[in-house]
Amino acid sequence: MAHIEVVRRSMRPEEYTDLRFGWLKRHIYDDKTEITTFRIREARQTAEMRFEFYDENPRPLKKGDMYFTPDGTAFIEADAVIPEKYKGKEVRFALKTAAEMIVKVNGKYVGGIDPNRENIVLTPYIDSDILHFEIVAYNRSKPDDERNPESLSVRGCRQIFEGGYLAVINGAVQSLVYDMELLLNIAKSDCFNEDFRKLINTELDNALNLIDFDDINIGDVKRASEYIDEHIFQDKRYGGSGSVALVAHSHLDIAYYWRRIHAVQKNLRTVLIQMRLMDRYPDFRYAHTQAYTYETVEKYYPELFDELKEKIKSGQFEPVGAMYVEPDCNVPSAESLIRQCLYGQTYYREKFGITVDSCWLPDVFGNSWILPQILKKSGVKYFVSNKMSTWNDTNRFPHNNFIWKGIDGTEIYACVPPTHFITWNMPDQVQKNWDAFQDKETGTQTLQMFGYGDGGSGVTEEMIELMHRFDKISVMPKTKHVTAHEFLENNFNENKKLAEWDGELYLEMHRGTFTTKSEIKRYNRMLEYKFRNAEIVSVCRMIKGEADYPAEKIRDLYKKLLINQFHDILPGSHITPVYRDAVSDYAEIDRELDKIICENGNKYFNTLGFKRSSVTFIEDENGKCLRLGKKGFFTVPEIGAFGSACVTVPNGKSDWIKVGKTTETPYYSIEFADDGSIIQIYDKELKRNWIKGYFNKLHIYYDYPGTYDAWDILPNYEEKEEKLNIDEKLHLSYSDGETAAFETVLSTKKSKWKMIIRLFRRSRGIEVENRVDWNEKHRLAKVEFSPDILTRELVCDTSAGFIKREMTKNTSWQQARFEVCHHKWFDLSETGTGVSVINSGKYGVGIGENSVSLSLLRATIRPDPTSDMGHHEFTYMIFPHKDDAVSAGINNIAFEYNVPLIKADCGLDYDFGELYLEALKLSEDGQYIIARLSEQNGRRGVLSGIGEFTVTDMTEAPQYITNEYKYSPFEIITIAFCQKNRKNV
Amino acid sequence: MEQYINEIIRPKIQGDGGEITFCSQKDDTVTVIMQGECSKCLILDRCIAWIESMALKDLNKKVKINAVRKKPFFWDT
Repeated sequence: MAHIEVVRRSMRPEEYTDLRFGWLKRHIYDDKTEITTFRIREARQTAEMRFEFYDENPRPLKKGDMYFTPDGTAFIEADAVIPEKYKGKEVRFALKTAAEMIVKVNGKYVGGIDPNRENIVLTPYIDSDILHFEIVAYNRSKPDDERNPESLSVRGCRQIFEGGYLAVINGAVQSLVYDMELLLNIAKSDCFNEDFRKLINTELDNALNLIDFDDINIGDVKRASEYIDEHIFQDKRYGGSGSVALVAHSHLDIAYYWRRIHAVQKNLRTVLIQMRLMDRYPDFRYAHTQAYTYETVEKYYPELFDELKEKIKSGQFEPVGAMYVEPDCNVPSAESLIRQCLYGQTYYREKFGITVDSCWLPDVFGNSWILPQILKKSGVKYFVSNKMSTWNDTNRFPHNNFIWKGIDGTEIYACVPPTHFITWNMPDQVQKNWDAFQDKETGTQTLQMFGYGDGGSGVTEEMIELMHRFDKISVMPKTKHVTAHEFLENNFNENKKLAEWDGELYLEMHRGTFTTKSEIKRYNRMLEYKFRNAEIVSVCRMIKGEADYPAEKIRDLYKKLLINQFHDILPGSHITPVYRDAVSDYAEIDRELDKIICENGNKYFNTLGFKRSSVTFIEDENGKCLRLGKKGFFTVPEIGAFGSACVTVPNGKSDWIKVGKTTETPYYSIEFADDGSIIQIYDKELKRNWIKGYFNKLHIYYDYPGTYDAWDILPNYEEKEEKLNIDEKLHLSYSDGETAAFETVLSTKKSKWKMIIRLFRRSRGIEVENRVDWNEKHRLAKVEFSPDILTRELVCDTSAGFIKREMTKNTSWQQARFEVCHHKWFDLSETGTGVSVINSGKYGVGIGENSVSLSLLRATIRPDPTSDMGHHEFTYMIFPHKDDAVSAGINNIAFEYNVPLIKADCGLDYDFGELYLEALKLSEDGQYIIARLSEQNGRRGVLSGIGEFTVTDMTEAPQYITNEYKYSPFEIITIAFCQKNRKNV
Repeated sequence: MEQYINEIIRPKIQGDGGEITFCSQKDDTVTVIMQGECSKCLILDRCIAWIESMALKDLNKKVKINAVRKKPFFWDT
């Protein structure tokens, strides 16, 4: 006899409680009066605070009408009179919507409505019974927070208007609903005591039995609340444990599934909502990041900015996060991260009179090892970042509250909270946080952030009401609502029990973000160095009295670059219009910096602090070489440190190279394969072969990471590979007295890949230029190098020193780091010899057991179905060398490869020794010249011989005067001096 | 119509994380491919009706849009 599955068809008691809870919620509104005068103008935002309208005049908007358009903003108005029956009561405006609305009544900002909240209190903000509503509403297909299941059902570009109302809430029902939200969450969560959950189920049933749901009356509701208080809240037999700090926060992506122009309103709505909650709940504190977002409030909503300043002064509204935006912390250079702090802190000091002592980066995709000293020297004591605890796909990050030791040995207090930065303050979320907290023995609290986010929104009334009830629940951890500063100061300061993490904070996920959107990465690298050149040239001209330093212009442009380093812009995890905005910004920055640099004359200025001795491409319209779309020639410029000189076109013959089965140069005998890969390189100087396996071998791998397409690369990406056809075998295409070029053309069904390999008479470097028409989907292009080097370490440039990464796969930690971020170069060396690969805008490196691969291009489809499609041109240089990377001077060679000569007759009379000049600029106060120097070879030394100077922190605040500074390995130093009269700060 | 879809409609759809690609036109029926967020939108018909109304308003052309959803592999379950 077949088994018959018994399906229980009758209702369990818990389900009956849920049903009655639903009935109860229908009575939250005591009374509603529909507003019938809504008018709407549909529009689309084209720039910050600028809109193009679909219609000249507003149209009536009635309940049941369709409203909103794709990528649409709507301007909605209405007029209403408060009914007589609402006199003396707290009146609310209620409107259920998937959109995000900023609501003004009678000219005053009264609050915000969005998928997470459907009504706002009007009474405290109006002084008339006659109301005029002005609503700016932005709708999009991805609601603020997909974690809120109610918001999922209403997503879509076109919405049905469900009507707007004046309403009065039944306080007793609302209060009982909050009690039940709290208790049902506990009853349904298996992370709480089972006996207590059983008690809740029994007593909630008893409480609801006191209510006649056919005729709900206030007396019954109050009796039910009293019953719950007496039989559940006052029952202290069931103990809990733990200590959780609750910090209110809303994560705001400046661009993601929306453009930067939309973040102005998204931020304002968030700020407004939180300020209105502060009015209602005086104990409520809220932490808000990113100086840039404060700037937009100041610029576009000055009347609210004044109120915001008051709330900051009172301590309710708390600026956190010293940086200008929340940038990606893998790809930006050290100087960019310093500028994030400099411009962030300068803004906070100027506007609010405070120095923010936290770096608040809940959502960034891993954190570079160079950060601790940058933060500490920018006035930051505490670092907060969530993702390593909750996103790691392989290993559990072992700490939550700890000390992070940076590349130079700087220590900073660090918090990686155990759970997500977006929570809605449910008891089970608090309990899960405590359960996951790994540093209980340190005696510290664990940090729980609460508030909806990604697109802002933040805390709701419900979250605060629930929080106010937490103390009544005996099984919950002890909670305390605090500011971020209070949490950090109370738990970290002088805490001797904190463990230490010495190394980068690598995120074991989102490894594709080092590569996705190649053009953005290329622009970022190029502009970082162009800013450097522009500032140095501007200082030179200022010193010579030729021109004023364009401080404001440079600052504005720099801020634009920093905004585009936001952690969903630079990593490439955004929709198509965000990419267009970024490229448009980059092009504008590029043009404007060119104007500042203003190349002219016949001399070339070397902005590097050492003599250039590497082969360099010089643009020249009469040149016969074509490189990256520009004509020119190669030469070794031989221009001294910070000096300028003329460069002559070399006119030697091309008899330095012999092409046959092997190609002979002064340095090498090279055997090429038809596809541009190199079979063998014999080094004539070092008398050794360099290659053991694939070398300069292009691979197009299948790349199917899944939903997080733009973000992730899976560890099995090498399993399947696209076949590459050889359309043109490698052949000599050009030669002169300095260089010879070999070309091959490869193809897939959809893409063409021209590879040009250049050899040089006077350089060990082998440059590879790639010109690619890329039309793939779900593919990852990498170039593989398997040199004959016995090493177990990959040395990677971080932009301010190098990091050694283990290549062995013995442990899960090593296995998880199969794709890492580097900057200008990586290196494989054994005692005496090594091979470096230097790039000019690539960041991803794959670590194999016996090989490494430079990630070149991806072809992802989410969030941007058009990502990386089109033409790409990029170069890298293979550099076999004697000794290790440091002794071979690879970092300097990489600087020469990335920092262009400037056509200008300039010079600087500085000698900073072996320190790299990160930046030379006018101080933000316009009084002094600031030089930022970094030690990048892991060597200590003394800076002297430049007269007296003032050591400052990275925010340019003076520390002390000296004429000698003993620096540590990998230290970054900022000094100030006055060039004209040598007077110090 | 192809130009209208590509230049006028497409940027708006992309602004919501979607993608629309003109595919073909036969008489008054225009076939488009919807990708990205549009490929799984529960209320795509409303958006398509809006595109038809915009074409009528802007081009004075009455067209029927035939929208073909092309879901990425990870949503194609």
